[in-house]
Amino acid sequence: MAKNNKTKKQRQTTGIEPLNLSAQLSYRGAGNPPNSHPSQAISNCFPGLESDFRNVWRRIFVGLEMNEADTVVVKVEDRAPAELQNLLNKRLLKVDGQPVFVHIRGPHAVENPGPDFPEPQGLVGNLPSNTPASASISGMEWSNALAHVISKAGQAIECIFQGNRPSEEIRVQLIIRSFFDNEPGNETAAGRAVISKDLIRPGELSQSLCSPWQNDYLECACYYWAASRPDYVNVEPGPDGTSRGNNWIQKDQSTDAPRSYTLDGSKLLSYDDLFRAWEKLLKFQIGGKDSE
Amino acid sequence: MNISLPQWSAKISSVAESTIDLPDDVPRAAALFAMAAPDVPLWHRFNRDDKAYLLLADRSRVYALNTESAERIDSLADKIDAAVARKISRDLRLAEDAPAIGDNPPTEVPIRALSLAVAQKCNLGCTYCYAQQGDFGAPPRDMSLETALAAVNVLLRDAKPGERANLAFLGGEPLANRPVIRAASEYARSVARERGVQVTYSITTNGTLLSPCDAAFFEEFGFAVTISIDGVGDVHDRLRPFKGGRGSFQAVIARTESLLAIQRSMQVSARVTVTPRNLHLRETLDYLIDLGFHSVGFSPMLSSPTGQDQMGRQELAVMLEQMVDCGDEFQSRVIEGARYPFLNLVSALREIHRGTHRPYPCGAGAGYMGVSADGGLSACHRFVEDASGAMGNLYEGVDRIKQNAWLGARHVHRQEPCRKCWARYLCGGGCHHEVIHRGRPACDFIRGWLHYCLQSYVHLLVMRPDYFGSAL
Repeated sequence: MAKNNKTKKQRQTTGIEPLNLSAQLSYRGAGNPPNSHPSQAISNCFPGLESDFRNVWRRIFVGLEMNEADTVVVKVEDRAPAELQNLLNKRLLKVDGQPVFVHIRGPHAVENPGPDFPEPQGLVGNLPSNTPASASISGMEWSNALAHVISKAGQAIECIFQGNRPSEEIRVQLIIRSFFDNEPGNETAAGRAVISKDLIRPGELSQSLCSPWQNDYLECACYYWAASRPDYVNVEPGPDGTSRGNNWIQKDQSTDAPRSYTLDGSKLLSYDDLFRAWEKLLKFQIGGKDSE
Repeated sequence: MNISLPQWSAKISSVAESTIDLPDDVPRAAALFAMAAPDVPLWHRFNRDDKAYLLLADRSRVYALNTESAERIDSLADKIDAAVARKISRDLRLAEDAPAIGDNPPTEVPIRALSLAVAQKCNLGCTYCYAQQGDFGAPPRDMSLETALAAVNVLLRDAKPGERANLAFLGGEPLANRPVIRAASEYARSVARERGVQVTYSITTNGTLLSPCDAAFFEEFGFAVTISIDGVGDVHDRLRPFKGGRGSFQAVIARTESLLAIQRSMQVSARVTVTPRNLHLRETLDYLIDLGFHSVGFSPMLSSPTGQDQMGRQELAVMLEQMVDCGDEFQSRVIEGARYPFLNLVSALREIHRGTHRPYPCGAGAGYMGVSADGGLSACHRFVEDASGAMGNLYEGVDRIKQNAWLGARHVHRQEPCRKCWARYLCGGGCHHEVIHRGRPACDFIRGWLHYCLQSYVHLLVMRPDYFGSAL
């Protein structure tokens, strides 16, 4: 059979070669532990425990590279068409009619943002004009918007990016890459259950894991951790359902620190701070308050 | 490893009214019956061109074996226990998953496909009709528009944006109630658009009432149109006469040609019901493909309400011999790069390549139900007016007790002899209606055919791998 060198070697080793897609999907490479298989793994990918599946979506659009955790274009290939060249650093808003961000409503941190709460750049401008101030948006798994275009490999679909001004939109036709691989170098081979190398290069699936644990602990925005990971601490309820409090990784954790939730990076502990000295820098939370 | 053919061949018994020359020797069918006999439930060994292969029943996984592995696996066949199975699992480099199909049936499956018996009446008198020539043994009736629209609501009510649903029209002869088909389709389209749901449309018709307006309508909605045709000329006429006795072949062909000419969005397929009186499949297949049908599929008549024209073991062997002949032609054409839409093999190859595995033969009683003219729900279109498949009605909804009982009882793990058969997850246990009313006379045929399809698969994987395209 016309197979590449790797499978020939496997055949010599085991004498048994997976042929159809379900056999390929079940296959575990020699030396791989059980949890290299999604069905045997915890497979959290926000970021990742065994692998960070989000990294597969970086190059889903031909000519572009997206940030796997955000919706921003981080690279445009030199040979990409001209209309793609001005997408660098632009934020993706819609994929083939599917929004990347959705509205959420609920109790929110601050009604009147103080000087420490910068307005999200441009995003508010894309909400309908009658959106109340307490509404917010979530783009937690932006790749969900790709679910219905994944079968449109090779086809062009319309995507909408945010322009230079909040009200400005850029519409482009982007081509979806094939998700699965054909025989490398042999496009006439049968479709395989292997992710295309155009999408995921060697090493990329394990590039952004929850390792060290502080990385994931800080990154987690979905209450994955079994014991609640704080977000909003020292909360003091106010009138009309408002409240004031602090960001849990605020550097200034003195008892007289102003009760103001900040996202200003210069006022927050960094990943590095936590890697080096989490046990000194983080306080126990008792009754929702920083405690010595 | 050489395949040696057994030295015997099956003789067919004399068939009443047979004026057709049937082959009296079916060597390939006989060989397939023997090679495909159920042996080890865990797997099935097959060979092609002196190479050895293995099908693992769980997840329908296909492997190529070298000589040593094949000999080792063959020697294990008598001694499989948990330890041996584990060792084999390691040799095959399998991730240690639990079997894909457990014993527990799904519960409360949402409806995603409905077939509407819009006309429980028919202008033909086909001998073997599951609907007993159209009226299911009850007074002939049409489905009211109100009932049809209620069915569409049931179909789409809980569908979420991006999901798919299928609306099918059957009977009897559905085109006897054309206005309801039109209205129900248009209504479904508007509701689907509002909700962001994708609806596909199907119709199975005897073809004698087709008009150019129907063609335009089906094309606009992208229908999957299935025309029932049983053979060429007299062969068809003997099985599918008008109720007055006259043959319907000329009418069907004349009216179908206008559809065939304009099919782009719609797909017009031919379904051939195979009885002892129309076993020249290759001739029928070539004729219908040349006519321009998008695909042609063959289905053995296993359970006729009158007992007339049912297939017995001998006839099934002849049918298998014919199917293999059609399959050989398919493989030649595909290797040449040509299209030869022999649907039975096309579907089998797609499912084998994907590793399709199922605990049921179809979605009947689960995501798919039939609707009678009066709005009753049944497991599928064949169970209309048949209590053994009753599932509630449109107005009170699916009878969940009946549905759960059905899904429990029909699960392939609870069927005999299915639960020990290597083909159980590719076959699924056989059409529920046929099995309930007649039993399982076709197991050797099904296994033999699947064995042939597996052999074809590995052959085409070598000779024409690009036939299998993208994994999606």
